[in-house]
Amino acid sequence: MPLTPFTIPQIALSDQNLVLSPPSDVNLREIRRVLAFLLDRPRDLTPGAISVLTSALVDIADALEDCVPAVSALLKVNFSSLLSSHNPFLSHSILSLYRHFSEAFNEYDIGKVAYRLQLSASDTGQKLIFRLLALHWLFGSTLLTSQVSSLTSLPGFYPQVFDPLAVKAKKLDAISVSASEGDGAVSLLEDGLVCISYFRWLPGWSTETLVAFRAMHKLLIGVMPHDGSDNGPGRTRLGSLMESTIFADLENVLIHLALEHHPLVPVIATFISRLLQCETHSPIGSRFLQTLDRCLIPNLKPGYGLSFYFPLLEKISENETVAPKGVLELLKRHMVCLTDEHGPDTGHRSWSQGSRVLSICRVMLKKHKGSQIFRPLSLLLAFTCQNFPDLEVRDNARIYLRMLACIPGKKLRQTLSIGEQKSGLAPAPLPASLIDVPPHPSPDLKKSTGIASYIHLERLKPPLVKQSWFLPVQGSVPALSNGSGPAEGGIMDIVTSVAPSSPDESNKTDSSKVAYQKEASRVMDPNTALLLRVLRTHFGCIPDYRVMPGIKIRIPCLLRFESDPFIRTWGFESCDEQTLPALYAIKITFSTLSKYGKIPSCRVPFLLGDLLKSDLAIVAVGQGNDESIEHSNFAKVFLELQPEDPMPGLIDIFINANTATEQVVSGFLRPVTIGIEDMFLKAILPPNVSDMWVSRYYSDLFDTLWEACGSSVNIGRETFPLNGGKGAVSINGKQSVKFLEVPEDVLINAVERHLAGFVVRVAGASLVKVVQQNRVIENIVWDEKEEEEDDLDVGPSGDDFSAENALVAYSREESELDVEYTQAEMESNSNDRSLAIVDKKKSVGNICVLIFLPPRYHLLFLMEIGYGSTMVRMRTDHWPCLAYVDEYLEALF
Amino acid sequence: MKNLLRRASPPSKNNFAMKKQNCRTNPTNEITVRSDYLNNSEGLSCEINTSISVRLVRAVTSPVPFFFSLKNSSFEKTISMAGCSFRAIWILTPHHSVAFSRTFPVVERRWRSACARDGEVETQAPLPSDLEVAAAFTDRKQREGSAHGFGIRVASSTPGSDSWVDDPVTRHIITLHINREEAEGYMLWPVIVHTSGNYYILVLPLVEPKKVREYRKLYQRNNCGGSVKEHDDLSSLLLSLPCITGAFMVAHAIGDLIAGETSDPEVVATSSSSAVGGLLDTLTGSIGIGVAPRPKPTSVPILASASSAATLMGSTLVDSSRTMTKPIDKDLLRGFISGSMPYGTPVDLNQNNIAAIRTTGFGSADPPPADLRQPAWKPYLYRGRQRVLLMTQETINAALYDREDIPDSFSISGQINCRAELEGLPDVQLPLIGVKPAKVKMLSVHQSAQYSDHGEDKQAIVFSPPVGSFVLARYQVSHATNPAPVKGFYQLSLVSEDGGQFLFRLTLMEGYKSPYCMDFCTIIMPFPRRRILSVDGTPSVGTVSMTERSIEWKIVTSGRGISGKTIDATFSGTVRFHPRVVNKSLSVSLSKSVLGCTAAEDSDEERESSNNSVNVEDVLMEKLNRDLEAVDLEEPLCWRAFNYAKVSFKITGGTFSGMTIDPKSVSIYPVVKAPVEYSMQVTSGDYILWNTLARSPHAAVPKDLC
Repeated sequence: MPLTPFTIPQIALSDQNLVLSPPSDVNLREIRRVLAFLLDRPRDLTPGAISVLTSALVDIADALEDCVPAVSALLKVNFSSLLSSHNPFLSHSILSLYRHFSEAFNEYDIGKVAYRLQLSASDTGQKLIFRLLALHWLFGSTLLTSQVSSLTSLPGFYPQVFDPLAVKAKKLDAISVSASEGDGAVSLLEDGLVCISYFRWLPGWSTETLVAFRAMHKLLIGVMPHDGSDNGPGRTRLGSLMESTIFADLENVLIHLALEHHPLVPVIATFISRLLQCETHSPIGSRFLQTLDRCLIPNLKPGYGLSFYFPLLEKISENETVAPKGVLELLKRHMVCLTDEHGPDTGHRSWSQGSRVLSICRVMLKKHKGSQIFRPLSLLLAFTCQNFPDLEVRDNARIYLRMLACIPGKKLRQTLSIGEQKSGLAPAPLPASLIDVPPHPSPDLKKSTGIASYIHLERLKPPLVKQSWFLPVQGSVPALSNGSGPAEGGIMDIVTSVAPSSPDESNKTDSSKVAYQKEASRVMDPNTALLLRVLRTHFGCIPDYRVMPGIKIRIPCLLRFESDPFIRTWGFESCDEQTLPALYAIKITFSTLSKYGKIPSCRVPFLLGDLLKSDLAIVAVGQGNDESIEHSNFAKVFLELQPEDPMPGLIDIFINANTATEQVVSGFLRPVTIGIEDMFLKAILPPNVSDMWVSRYYSDLFDTLWEACGSSVNIGRETFPLNGGKGAVSINGKQSVKFLEVPEDVLINAVERHLAGFVVRVAGASLVKVVQQNRVIENIVWDEKEEEEDDLDVGPSGDDFSAENALVAYSREESELDVEYTQAEMESNSNDRSLAIVDKKKSVGNICVLIFLPPRYHLLFLMEIGYGSTMVRMRTDHWPCLAYVDEYLEALF
Repeated sequence: MKNLLRRASPPSKNNFAMKKQNCRTNPTNEITVRSDYLNNSEGLSCEINTSISVRLVRAVTSPVPFFFSLKNSSFEKTISMAGCSFRAIWILTPHHSVAFSRTFPVVERRWRSACARDGEVETQAPLPSDLEVAAAFTDRKQREGSAHGFGIRVASSTPGSDSWVDDPVTRHIITLHINREEAEGYMLWPVIVHTSGNYYILVLPLVEPKKVREYRKLYQRNNCGGSVKEHDDLSSLLLSLPCITGAFMVAHAIGDLIAGETSDPEVVATSSSSAVGGLLDTLTGSIGIGVAPRPKPTSVPILASASSAATLMGSTLVDSSRTMTKPIDKDLLRGFISGSMPYGTPVDLNQNNIAAIRTTGFGSADPPPADLRQPAWKPYLYRGRQRVLLMTQETINAALYDREDIPDSFSISGQINCRAELEGLPDVQLPLIGVKPAKVKMLSVHQSAQYSDHGEDKQAIVFSPPVGSFVLARYQVSHATNPAPVKGFYQLSLVSEDGGQFLFRLTLMEGYKSPYCMDFCTIIMPFPRRRILSVDGTPSVGTVSMTERSIEWKIVTSGRGISGKTIDATFSGTVRFHPRVVNKSLSVSLSKSVLGCTAAEDSDEERESSNNSVNVEDVLMEKLNRDLEAVDLEEPLCWRAFNYAKVSFKITGGTFSGMTIDPKSVSIYPVVKAPVEYSMQVTSGDYILWNTLARSPHAAVPKDLC
């Protein structure tokens, strides 16, 4: 049973809800008397009692406002003088009256209160906490805060030298707040910061530094407070804040601090990350980073001093709105510098700095899209893993490089963040998702159909002849792949004789053929035997592609894709215009109907889309020796053919790739055309030919082959074993002529441009002079002394051959050749032309061209160059190629 | 006892009015009644153990109506939490164990009912035990870096810690997380922390649960920190909670008590015949019983501002004196608490009043005046020989640079101490002279006083003096009429890592005529980070002594004060230090906690900076600065980072500002013949001669003051 005074009216003790009538006049009179009694006595009370009294009065006056007006005015009269008491408790109690009855006080009163509070904040005799509280009271009331800006001109808010740092911090708040209205904010703040200006050279962890950066932060958020519930003003002010002079000035302050006082760099980083973590102010933080990236990074020098800036570089790396290029380039220069300066006593420093650079790279890998960082980062990592003095750093760089090149973006980020999971915090979700192999995403067929229109695999050097007429072969869709091309059967005759279908059979035939061939050679005359020996040596160098790796042709191609249609199709989400889409883990497989052997597929780890804006030039291919890092906006791919039949053809291309969003791109690209000139190779040089005899060897070989392809009678049945010892071939030569009606200088230019590597001999003094002057064709046999005989239309080569090598006189054969030439000429060209040639007496000279066609064929040109026209005599042991050569020669000009 | 009862009950007329007031009526016809006295029987048993406290409460709060709170009544809903009450007081030792604790069940009951009203279930948990408080305090210390904490947001701050709020005041108003094994933990806010004599005094005031909620919002906020412009910030919260301020008053009062300090200001009697004692002396003298009069001291030499200045220097110079812990006189403390804040509501925090009531009570010799209202803060009236003692005390803080680019700065703060031994309840008027020329800004006056400003040289303070010594007024001077008492410069040049040359050239008391008298003047050159090996050089005046960390130059020794003459003093010499021992662990750990980063590149930085800097001195300073610790927010600056000399002096016979009191024109009403004695003294606070040759801290001067 609680004790209750007997004077309490019963009505107050009952539990029922009471309905009381409004106070009567008598009541009110009594109440007024009581109030008058109370209001008369504040000076007689202790501070504690006044506190109780004021809080009670607030309630009473609230309740009586209607019945007894002017209560608040009475309060003012009786209490306001107590505000100047140096008992803070008392002051605070009185302030709470001001707070409740603000309408009773005019602006002058409020101003006086604000002034008084500001004075007490400067009262050095007062205890620190009460000085702080005075400032809080001042800022706590909207009425009083409005007075703060008018008080700014007063000295009260300028911190003094011996103000405790806590007071300095709060006074700086006041400066920030009042300053945030006007333009001179930063200068006011800087004035204020003078009192702790020594933070610039104190260690970054000093309290002064904290206070200084807190003041800057307060200034910023004073201009743009957190919007809280109403998200209206904050958002709209963001833009205007970024344009304001306050912001620009603050940026300058920060850049200056970072440049001049490097111990402060970590503090600046902390400052910015604080903004970044805030929902409202993260754009400001990003903006700061962008500015630093623009204005600070270019001014930094690589070297050991750069380590001060690592915290800032890390922040910039973490931020997705800042292009990482600047930082990465700086870091690359830094690594170069570290490598250069490495000495016996810098082992530890190299390790520590290298590791920190790598940790920034790691952040980059995690935070940025592969497309943005790939090139600069791969260059940096490649340099590091090749050249950096510290082994561990090198190893790590290699791992990062491998990850960068091989793991698509999303997965890479997951992989990198595994280690950062705190052990206590539910480690399950992330690793589990990695351990479980996710279901392979099925390729989106609909999206993949049109990829040939924007993903291109193109030859670096297009073929001279647009082979439009082997169209029957071009129907290279899989449905047709079973059928064999009509031209194929015709070629087989030679090949089948050399290459039996089963190895056993071939062994037998080979051995029998070798026996037969030895037999046959015995009956040859010595000249022919010499000829055969040259041929045997030559063919002995040609690998038999059936039993050993054959001769390969590498055709450089470029793989690229257009960003715009790619984004349209695959919905690539990009955070800004500069971001390009990328393909990961590209696999290109080739197929063809032509006999090019098995074409190995290519892999491109990463490919960036074409630049969206045309003003940015395509970056040149990097010179790194590792193929995987040669990337910019296209990838170099080599088509590797091992032709079994030197024919032009088409190669179908199938692509498989991942997008950054883990979609699968797959489909056919436009086929690549292979021209006859792609088959052109230099003849293989036997190993025992010394350098000085190379040109002579080729010249001799030309003559021999010329002979062999022409005089099929003598060596027609002769077989020549290939390298590998399991196959042999015989020569079945054909010849043809082509009349080219072009001036000699044009022809020489064309030969120098397209056939320079295959020229084995130039004859005729004037021609030799011209060609030697051009210095394109070198290291061949120059034949100047035959000038006189150049007059002869026919058979200079034979003469050359005989004269130079003194092998045998070929008078009969020459005549035979003559006849054959004429016949061939008649067949392939018009009579008029041949007559024209005859008319042209004067010839400039001859060019002999020896072309090897893989796997084992040859094409020989003997170009008789005259003034205004040229007769090209062709001989080959692979007659189907003649058809293409004809077009090729025409396309040369 | 009969007498007491008579005193305790106010005149019947007033009593009646109060009863009428018990029921408060408002337009919505709700009645709010409340009582701290009768509602709570458990509180009574411990509170009313002395009738004196009841009497005091009555005496103090008699004009205040009593509100009764009734259990089970719907009227409770409108209970206001305003006013000032405390739920608990804890005193923790330096080792964080609770040395003393006191809870107030009456207040706790109000808290719980408020929580129930607001539907706050979690906050209804009972107050933590002493062990839990100790654990929570230790826990907070670990979280926040020190017992007080960082104060402002640092890299290691997290939401849910005080430093996250990012305000220096959170070093004093803290949050305790009470973790309970068997039940949900909860947070205790606001806990007021005050350090005194190595003890931590924790006071938990009663606030409305919704205020706690508001604070929790602030301290768990997920954005980058509040600005003054936001309406729900810490400042407005603090403005609406006078009880926090009250709690600080209580904490300071308790702190003074356990440290054995009296809050009496110093008053010096000029005539040697007169005696000045404390309140107790006055009482015992007048009552004439019990306690033999103590030997009369000529001064009570404890001064608030002086002690704060001493703390500043103490932290830099003397660390050993702070480690001593005086055991708490628990009886004294209990008596004080039950006397000054019965039922957890503070009524009078004046130590002397409480002690006097406790020891002597009220006798028949001091009946209440019949025709005058006796203020609550003056429970006794003086009886005896009448006189008025006045004293002006000024403290000069000065930063002397002797440089063209930085003007020297002076700030003078002063106070007028008073001891009016006057019978009855008279009013005293005190005219002030020289207020305008000195641009004196009156900061505050005593509660009993009113400051009137009526134009040129008509400023006066009117007051009705309490018993004993008190600070009548405090003021600040922005423009002194007198020249600086110590002028000159100090130069220190570090010629090598372990040695330096220094030069002083000073002028003392230039322009001061008699009766100004310099009692003493000492200059201290502290080298807190170096151990001094030797000092060479002889000053032109005075003597030099040396300790391990400082050099002391006594120019004027006490007892041989100088008056009416100017002294030129020079001192040049060399100082040698012991070789430096680098201690990195501290700075590294600090940098970790504050910046959240490691100083892994220390070696790099060192080399780099030594490459860049040209000046030997800069290199040395930079090396030294690397070991600097962060100072507390209570410090004005990182003293250790600078080279300076600190001047200590005391001047009597006048003021620096030029503002004085004319003792002859002090008027007392009702008129009595009482002599007025007036004394003046000027002491140095932070009077610093910065090394002219090195960097020194300064502050910008607002343009309108230039």
